[in-house]
Amino acid sequence: MEATADVVVNASRLCFVDPFGMALLGATFHTIRNQGRSVQICGLSAEMGGYLERMDVFEGIELVDCAPMPMQRHNRGDSLVELTRLGARRDVDEASFRLAHAVVGHIPGINPDEPPDEMTGYTAFERLVEPVQYALNELLENALTHAKGHGFPDACVWVASQYYPRKGMIQLAVVDDGCGFLASLRNHPALRRESHIDAIFTALMPRISCNRDLGLSSESVNQGVGLTTTFRIAEQAGGRLVIASGDAIHDTVGRSYQLTEDNFWQGVAVAMECRRDRLPDIRFRDLLPPLDAQPVRRLRFE
Amino acid sequence: MITRSNFPLSKYAYGHLIGARATASSLREQVEVALAQGQEIVFDFSGVDATQSFIDELIGVLILSNGPEILDRLVFKSCSDNARAVIEFVAADRCDQFVKIHSH
Repeated sequence: MEATADVVVNASRLCFVDPFGMALLGATFHTIRNQGRSVQICGLSAEMGGYLERMDVFEGIELVDCAPMPMQRHNRGDSLVELTRLGARRDVDEASFRLAHAVVGHIPGINPDEPPDEMTGYTAFERLVEPVQYALNELLENALTHAKGHGFPDACVWVASQYYPRKGMIQLAVVDDGCGFLASLRNHPALRRESHIDAIFTALMPRISCNRDLGLSSESVNQGVGLTTTFRIAEQAGGRLVIASGDAIHDTVGRSYQLTEDNFWQGVAVAMECRRDRLPDIRFRDLLPPLDAQPVRRLRFE
Repeated sequence: MITRSNFPLSKYAYGHLIGARATASSLREQVEVALAQGQEIVFDFSGVDATQSFIDELIGVLILSNGPEILDRLVFKSCSDNARAVIEFVAADRCDQFVKIHSH
């Protein structure tokens, strides 16, 4: 990314892109264009071209020798979310709500407009949507809070998601081009070794945040629980997180490794996968880390 | 007699969830004005759940700014089990943090 020349991508062997790949591509193309360089994509199949164009991945990109297969832009708000860029924390609530509804999708036998349960006030559809909305909220909040620090004031966040009906799986991706975990956590006492993979492991520990302890002098504090909670939502719904930052990738089902040679992600990229049918079983109260202490004051619930 | 200021949270929710710190911080500014006037604050959670981020930005920051005794002036009304658990977690964690910071 430090080169000065225009970029030509040979996409002749590209046959599948998931939301994680789409968000990473969108962020990469944006960075290159912001450097005043152009991006050309060559050899893309008409089918892939049509799909990626429909997902809004090609903003400002020149396609060479490719006529994307026209795909009708009918409403697919029941299974996927086009690549979306966010830049401000005030957008988090609305974006999480909209994206969660879109990716949870149409479910046979469940009517989103049915009257809510009289006891709980929720419909069956809302029980599915809320864990995804919660996870997106925390991921976007984290990204928009941390990414802009340490010399990256213009950092943005890209989101894409899709429901895969054959596997019954939802994948959503939240990718930023900001400072990355290592820059955020470099001075944190919990970081054992100054490496990107250790920074990812540290970020996954509860109550770890670069600004947890700044308190009164900071414009923003953070309890350091959002990423842990998101991981537990994925885990309880039979899924996983894949996290990339700097030269490291960690998959929460157990694999982690360093990227080879010049491969590097400037920022944080998170993909969350989970089973849609497991979402209604999730209770947020079960996701919180254990408490070290009891409140020193009795809380007043009415 | 202490007057109560009521904050119904459902109007800030998208669906049943209130999530963003930005929403909480603008609400907290209104709460701080009411507290400065000596009022008690009633947070009405009827029909809504809240993320840990939202509760932390609303309640956690009040605890860090004012100390645990601020909780004596806050009332949490009509909480679901989820909302109650998140409030208890944030309050315990931030009170513990406040006590540790001020005991050194």
